[in-house]
Amino acid sequence: MRNYALIHVNGVRREIRGREALMMLAEWLRKEAGLSGTKIVCAEGDCGACTVLRAFPRPGAAFAAGVAFEYEAMNSCIATVAQMDGAHIVTVEGMQSGSELSPAQDAMRACHASQCGYCTPGFVMALSGMLEKHAQADERTAMNYLTGNLCRCTGYAPIIQAALTVRATEKHSVALRYSDMFAVAESIATTEQSMRVQHDGVELFAPATLREAVTFAAIHPGFRVIGAATDLGVQVNKGKPMPTALLSLHLVPELYETKVTRGGATFGARVTLAQVRRVSEDVAPEFARFLNLFASPQIKNVATLVGNIANASPIGDTLPFLLIAGGTVHVAGRPGGKGPIRKRTIAMTDLYVGYKQLALEPGEIITHVSFQRTPSREVLRLCKVSQRKDLDISAVSGAFAVTLSAGRRGKSAPCVASARIAYGGVAATPVRMPDAEQALCGELTPARIESVAELIAGSIAPISDVRGSGAYRRVTAANIFRRFGNEVLRG
Amino acid sequence: MAEHSEAPGRLAAIIADPGSAPHDSSVTHVTGKSEYVDDRPMVKGELHCGLVYSPYAHARVRRLDIAPALAVPGVVCAVTAADVAHNAWGTIFQDQPIIAAAEVNFVGEVVAVVAAETKEALAKGLTEVVVEWEKLPAIRTVAEAVAAKSFIGSERTIATGDAVAALARSPHRVAGTLEIGGADHFYLESQAAVVYPREDGQLEVHSSTQHPTETQHVVAEACGVRFSDVVCIAKRLGGGFGGKESQAAPIAAYAALVAKQTGRAARLVLSKDDDMIITGKRNPFRIEYQCGFDADGRIIALDAMLHADGGAYADLSTAIMERAMLHCDNAYFIPNMRVRGQVCRTNFHPHTAFRGFGGPKGVALIESVIEDIARVVDRDALDVRVLNCYGPGQDMTPYGQRVEDNHLPELFATLTERCAYRARRAEIAAWNADRARNPDGHSRGLSLTAVKFGISFTTRFLNQGNALVNLHRDGTVQVSTGAVEMGQGVNARIAAIVAEQFGLPTGSVRIMPTSTEKNANTSPTAASTGTDINGAAALQACETICARLSALAIRLRSIPPESWAKKTAGLGTMPEIAVGSGVSPRGTDEQRVEFRNGVVTVTDRSGSVFTVGFAELVREAYLNRISVSEYAHYSIPDLGFDKLTGKGRAFLYFTQGVAASEVELDRDTGEVKVRRVDILMDMGRPVNHALDMGQVMGGFVQGMGWLTTEHLVYDGNGKLLSHSPSTYKIPSVQDTPRVFNADLIFNHGNSVNVRGSKASGEPPLLLSISVWTAVRDAIMSARSSDASVSSGQHAQLVPLAIPATAERVLRGLSPQMFAAWDARDMQVANGGQQ
Repeated sequence: MRNYALIHVNGVRREIRGREALMMLAEWLRKEAGLSGTKIVCAEGDCGACTVLRAFPRPGAAFAAGVAFEYEAMNSCIATVAQMDGAHIVTVEGMQSGSELSPAQDAMRACHASQCGYCTPGFVMALSGMLEKHAQADERTAMNYLTGNLCRCTGYAPIIQAALTVRATEKHSVALRYSDMFAVAESIATTEQSMRVQHDGVELFAPATLREAVTFAAIHPGFRVIGAATDLGVQVNKGKPMPTALLSLHLVPELYETKVTRGGATFGARVTLAQVRRVSEDVAPEFARFLNLFASPQIKNVATLVGNIANASPIGDTLPFLLIAGGTVHVAGRPGGKGPIRKRTIAMTDLYVGYKQLALEPGEIITHVSFQRTPSREVLRLCKVSQRKDLDISAVSGAFAVTLSAGRRGKSAPCVASARIAYGGVAATPVRMPDAEQALCGELTPARIESVAELIAGSIAPISDVRGSGAYRRVTAANIFRRFGNEVLRG
Repeated sequence: MAEHSEAPGRLAAIIADPGSAPHDSSVTHVTGKSEYVDDRPMVKGELHCGLVYSPYAHARVRRLDIAPALAVPGVVCAVTAADVAHNAWGTIFQDQPIIAAAEVNFVGEVVAVVAAETKEALAKGLTEVVVEWEKLPAIRTVAEAVAAKSFIGSERTIATGDAVAALARSPHRVAGTLEIGGADHFYLESQAAVVYPREDGQLEVHSSTQHPTETQHVVAEACGVRFSDVVCIAKRLGGGFGGKESQAAPIAAYAALVAKQTGRAARLVLSKDDDMIITGKRNPFRIEYQCGFDADGRIIALDAMLHADGGAYADLSTAIMERAMLHCDNAYFIPNMRVRGQVCRTNFHPHTAFRGFGGPKGVALIESVIEDIARVVDRDALDVRVLNCYGPGQDMTPYGQRVEDNHLPELFATLTERCAYRARRAEIAAWNADRARNPDGHSRGLSLTAVKFGISFTTRFLNQGNALVNLHRDGTVQVSTGAVEMGQGVNARIAAIVAEQFGLPTGSVRIMPTSTEKNANTSPTAASTGTDINGAAALQACETICARLSALAIRLRSIPPESWAKKTAGLGTMPEIAVGSGVSPRGTDEQRVEFRNGVVTVTDRSGSVFTVGFAELVREAYLNRISVSEYAHYSIPDLGFDKLTGKGRAFLYFTQGVAASEVELDRDTGEVKVRRVDILMDMGRPVNHALDMGQVMGGFVQGMGWLTTEHLVYDGNGKLLSHSPSTYKIPSVQDTPRVFNADLIFNHGNSVNVRGSKASGEPPLLLSISVWTAVRDAIMSARSSDASVSSGQHAQLVPLAIPATAERVLRGLSPQMFAAWDARDMQVANGGQQ
């Protein structure tokens, strides 16, 4: 059993064990590796000051000469070093070539895009991540890549200008500079072996097979799956103790699968939201559009759809969609840690049984999630109400889908044949609203829209909290439905 | 809400002239090499410090036991009130304990500091400190404070004319109450300090502080050492915005107490959550007002009562209140005014300086009142503003200072034209009513507001600065001042001033870390005065050196180079050159001296020229035992504001500007989208155009946050719930105005300030008030077009608290939607209590 995480930092090979392996990456970079350019501000993945680039070889990938890594931005403050096992990390210190600034660095300097400087390394890395994919970005692309970084000094205008004027150069391509073929080969070979790191009563186990994974889960009753740790990492940073038995699935090859069929798509537990978004552009375009507003690039590059499901937050942004799009989770377990792996599926509508409670048997883990392809005749809309448009946790989110009866002609009102409605942020779990769905079926008139809106507002009992009052949630829950209804009405 | 997002518009013509020197740290910033407090490598034996603080807004400490914490392996010490030599601090009133002893007055008030060898041990140690609290009743609103007469300082008044009588005879009046919330500074670098114990009881403090001198003093008093035993150094700050003006001091004191007690280096770096819970915010205000005006909208009288929530201790709140009162006129002539101000003592974190320092409250009041006036007299608000704007014949402020070098009328006229205000006003009205283009019934609004921000500390003695300028014999320069670099570019500005004086490239001038051993008795870098007072002091030092160098250059002209000191000083074969007085920095009437491009040129009346390299001249000066260093002290002249009468010259000059903001409100969610902003400001003759533009656009967006999305939510215990960016929403890149134009006018008339420049730090923030007035404009337009709601003239005056959160906006747009649910929720809440 391997007892260290293998990582490369700015091209330097490191084996990290024990205490250091269970530190958060940003903290480790700053305090153990002497790379203090990476900053920690919020320690919850919301400000981007800790942004680094990460490339990760898919376990089991056949090594091919000249294979280039894909470097993507991530928040280093909420992920443990152990989760970086096999990854190649590039920090702001790795961007210069000799004394020459990288294009992102030079653009930030030339546009006066840095004042106090504390957010700057994070912006430099976010822009560098953009340049790995876009030699030259248009405004929308540039803005999307900057959504995960906060600046309190500049008002962003000069940073946007830097993003619009910067051009990638081959010389400064991180992928080309840091993809040493021997290092890549070694990372791939090493990550074929399971890993276990331990310190002070905490064990993090990363099995190379699903069998080992479900066995570990079966014999460690309090285990937690550690995915991207975008929630767990926050909780630990804010004082909650690290769970003592952590199961990381990053070495299990089959969990990286994506399957697209005529009926829909299936994603393994390790498929990131960024990857899901790309696939959804074809399978469920509205979901892809919605994912643009979901979290930051730094989060989407590491967080998984299965993670969002398993975290079971009542305001999990993907959940209302999955509830109305035939979402199904695939789970695996091995009772007692013996015998064959037992697999089964659970409909998303049956998954949530209480606040943050899933209908899973002890020792079961979610391996995949599927949802249906949006039928061409269905109108599907996803809405999110939040204080700030982007990168904000919803007060309320809604998912609406209707299929209209065929044969609408002339001026006759459209007729709803079937409807599905789900909400987040209005109860202890994300919920479907069958009464409202039923009430919506039939001829669609302004009066019907109004009565369904009132039915929705009256049938929920949302709480008041930091994101809004209960009344605000009721009113906006009804309003976003009204808007959907009116949109359908207008055709 | 998610849909209907438009493609972001062009960010037009943002950045200034390309010739502006970049920020002096721009390269180290982008490479991650800029060093902040917590980037200092840990030294051997260095301790991590953490704080134990009150979970209650008001409580008695019945028992505090640190022994269990000390028993944790790795925990080295725990400091309590008993260890503090002088346990009281405060910039204006020393009313705040550094570490609370018997009673705590806000959630976050510190009762113990724990220090440990590792972060793990520290975390354990912090949980092991035993505190028994006895909860006491707390004051949580201004209204409760007023009822209990719980005040800080006494009520103050600024008045002119007879406001009460003038109100009574005014043909029209509006009255109301404006609720203004606080805001967190959200500097990205949270409060931090590292303290190294040095020999013989000395302490070397590295602090993220805007006020090294006060930090030095508070550390010394807390530790019971002399001021001369403490050096406080602030190399750079990862943002300050006022939040590190006073409140950095106790943080440094906590680390210093540990360092003193253990003899080991001690580091205290707050987490963002602790920082937001412990430190004070922009003061919330409640303003009750009445304004009288004539049928044209000309203001006759304003009577306002300002209450500020000061939090538990005085901090800077009384000075903040004073500035709020001094800005209730803003850009407008008010012949009869009575503004009263009272700071309330409540059980919240002690509120403190924040960019604008009270000014934004006064300005929000009058700009909002003008929108009311416009609705009542049925004129465009811009016309009412121009009518009341300071100008010839109406240029006297209520506190008796004349508005000189006034560019407000020109700014109003120019921006109105440039942003096509009139045409857009008509277009917005048409769009709002057009269901084809606006199918969801959203509402757009437009507002053009102004700022006239007084520059100077209103406390006279703070308006002084000092600077140390050292020339080196390779022709380079080191400058030390009391100014603290926190991103605003004060170092780059001072370097530009010094470089220009010596005729050197800015790269030859290095601004050294701010340190109390070089510059003592300094004022905080605050009130936008950093460059004004420190740059002026540096300039003065440069002039003194230039005068000596000029005299030397004139003498060297008549000496053959082989006899210069560089050839002869070692042997002592030539007499030394002595320079006396009588030569100015620019030479004499006969011999003009110029410092340019690294060369010093002496030109006589005949036009004959002598040149000597700058570095060579410096070496000659040294070899002739002429000082090439200088220390200078500068104080702003002619200030005289009497705080008791509320009259006098409070400010050296005013920084002025105008901004027009257009917003769109989502009718279904209340979400605010800022579609376009145009800014025009008078910054005098900028020292660095790009840095000024950075202050303008950055200050504006920061202010937008306070006015819209930044919502401080507290629980019933007075604990802040929105204490991290997941719940406290500062503007993100997507919130930047879709179209964002900013420009400066050329004004060479500000002769009273260094190099004809004007302070730029705070004034632009106040222009963001136009976003809030535009939101209110959009709400009132929607309401007045909604026949079921509107009835009668004044019904369309809809109050809008700050911040205008999505929920408040939606409540403003559609109050009827909320009425039933609020009533039901209230019943449930009451039922729950019974």
